[in-house]
Amino acid sequence: MFTGISEIDRMFGAMDLLRNRMDRLFNDFDGSSLYAPAFTLTSNSPRTNFLENGDNFEVQAEVPGISKHDLNIKIQGNYLEISGKRIVDTPDGYKIHRNERGGSTFSRSFTLPADVDAEKVEAMMKDGILYLKLPKSETAKPKQITIN
Amino acid sequence: MSDRKDIAKKEEKSIEKTRELRSAIPTVDIYENDNEILLHADMPGVNKKDISVNIDNGTLSLSGVRRFDNKGVSKWEEFSDVEYVRSFSVPQSIDVERVEAELKDGVLKLHLPKSEVAKPKMIEIKAV
Repeated sequence: MFTGISEIDRMFGAMDLLRNRMDRLFNDFDGSSLYAPAFTLTSNSPRTNFLENGDNFEVQAEVPGISKHDLNIKIQGNYLEISGKRIVDTPDGYKIHRNERGGSTFSRSFTLPADVDAEKVEAMMKDGILYLKLPKSETAKPKQITIN
Repeated sequence: MSDRKDIAKKEEKSIEKTRELRSAIPTVDIYENDNEILLHADMPGVNKKDISVNIDNGTLSLSGVRRFDNKGVSKWEEFSDVEYVRSFSVPQSIDVERVEAELKDGVLKLHLPKSEVAKPKMIEIKAV
């Protein structure tokens, strides 16, 4: 009787172990790109995050090693374009041992879910991340309708 | 039957799970001239205070953690919180005292100067 239960227990234990491993496998598969390095020689456009926060949209883009003069942001209605170039120069008089970081020119464009007020857009750069705050335009905001 | 065991395993204790901090390998460029070895590593989103550079016994290890404090509904997410980790072997002739690091626009630049001469040290034995 006792041995029977402990065997079942062991069996469930083994199944749990298997399930955990499968979970981990799928997590790795799903999330791998979230944690990949930023710019590489093969991928040459910045990765972005998009958030909606009340009256604002927020866009974040990974732009390591790009100065703000080399970035262009264009907005028209609900169209957003981020373009720029990343320059990776070998410093003078140095020889190269390893070169993984890729220089490139890039352009990414987005169709936003609603029109934004281009005049009030705020852009900030911090530690190689571009933060864009895009307030929705008045027409895109929800309106209260009073019933007569 | 007093020592009967639960057949079904208990669900893991933590109800609120925070997302595990994954580690990623930063891309690096390594250059060298007569005076120093220069290492550039992409670490976007990592604050200066969250970077650690360790040189120990010929191994240089870099670690940098970034965390975002995002509020609102995420429509898409292509990058996230991460710990950048990478280690390298460095020659013993690096002058550890004079290593300099700077962080600009998410790129860590590490200057590893070569020591002028490997100075032998005299060890004095004290009489007890």
